[in-house]
Amino acid sequence: MMSERPVLVIGAGLAGLAAAVELARAGLQVLVADQAQAPGGAVHRQPLPGVRSVASRTQRRRWDGLMTAVQAQGARITLAMGTAFGGVDHTGAVLLTGAGARLFRPRALVLATGARERVQPRPGWTLPGVETAGSLQTRLKMLAQPPEGRVLLAGSGPLLLALGAELTRLGRPPIAIVEAGRPLARPLAALGLPLSYLTEGAGYLARLRLAGVPVLPATHLVAIRAEAGALLADLDTPTGRRSQSADRIALHDGIAPNDIGLPDCPALPMVRAGDCREALGARAALADGQAQGAALAARLLGQPMPAPAAEVIRQRAAQVLVARLHAHDGAARLAALPGDTILCRCEGRSLNDLRALGPGPTDRQLRLDGRFSMGACQGRFCAEWVARLAAPDTEKPRLGAARWPARPIAIADLLAAPDETQGDPA
Amino acid sequence: MSTILWQGRPIPFHPGESLASALIRAGVLILGQAPTGQPRAVFCGIGQCQGCLVRVGGRLVEACLTPCRTGMDVFPEDGEHDV
Repeated sequence: MMSERPVLVIGAGLAGLAAAVELARAGLQVLVADQAQAPGGAVHRQPLPGVRSVASRTQRRRWDGLMTAVQAQGARITLAMGTAFGGVDHTGAVLLTGAGARLFRPRALVLATGARERVQPRPGWTLPGVETAGSLQTRLKMLAQPPEGRVLLAGSGPLLLALGAELTRLGRPPIAIVEAGRPLARPLAALGLPLSYLTEGAGYLARLRLAGVPVLPATHLVAIRAEAGALLADLDTPTGRRSQSADRIALHDGIAPNDIGLPDCPALPMVRAGDCREALGARAALADGQAQGAALAARLLGQPMPAPAAEVIRQRAAQVLVARLHAHDGAARLAALPGDTILCRCEGRSLNDLRALGPGPTDRQLRLDGRFSMGACQGRFCAEWVARLAAPDTEKPRLGAARWPARPIAIADLLAAPDETQGDPA
Repeated sequence: MSTILWQGRPIPFHPGESLASALIRAGVLILGQAPTGQPRAVFCGIGQCQGCLVRVGGRLVEACLTPCRTGMDVFPEDGEHDV
């Protein structure tokens, strides 16, 4: 047992572990909890025992460097894998469930829960065989084995090219990559990206081109149907509508902070790090984890604040340019979706259900009458789109206030978590 | 090779593999029926969407987060229980 109350870090990916190292270096005890079975997060998901890694040399070097730094801290960092974060209440008590179940008050909290994938609603996006690109990629990383059948990648963003190149390398190139933007239309603008982005992207494109994978720019996957044991995707191309048959479809429309269900708690020193604070990708997550970890350590120990991370500022600029290169009118198409398109996957609430609430629905109407953002995923996959549809003129509409739990908690888990808060000065 | 049991049917798995991954590789894409009547299936793959809930040992677990164990009895979620 730790003799002092640990700083709790949620998430054993780049940002969480980088923060843990900085906190441990400052002499603090750190407990890192993650619901996965091994550290890595989504980006550095590790291969299963006996499986070779599909990560690039650059990726492996980044991860190995971080793990070496974690190990160098010895007993100051404890990893609790298979342990999910239930939430934090107003007294600063944190509930962990799973392998490392406990209810306790950590000394401070670092939220490094990474990103969530943005996937725009489309007819048929709930069909079995349709998943997120990140979901497919996670299995590739763990098994180094491509899925069976014809894979179609669609949406927008650099992840589609990366995943396409990985599938190609594993011997099953995707039948096409459908990209809503036109990222290659302005090569001069792309030259403003950091060199590492350019070499990575060029490598993916070269591999895809060599394998003859069609990359379809300015093309939207507008609907999916199940037909004769396959999935039929309707594609809106610059030259008209056409259909594409596939066995698996992976969708991806960018990433956003996975910050649902993470309220601030005045009773507990708390920071957010990495994609869960600002979705800027892997390079920024490492630097941001270090910066947030160092800043929290300084705050806890009453030391002067360290300088903000220059790398995060560089990556923010790079990500703004990446977004500009992939810009498209997809979001404007939301309102034109067929009325029976499901927006809320959890409770099957459709665009018609949203319209039935009348013009200008309030937050309360959307949630309590419409049941949007009230399902088991806590709105991770519908809130953004529902908020945008309900308030099309607001720049960054949000649906609902942050509230715990961060995920559904079984009553059995609640009862199983040893309560260590008794006698705490709450 | 080690197996789990999906409705009694043996499904092989790689050590450390998730239920979702083993089931998908065995061609099982429909994992049950959600309360909405929609088929359950893997969507986010990282424990965020709750779409892949299955029943193990009398309780609901995310197939994408739960590692396979030899002989584990896994059943579809039938939608009778509110989640």
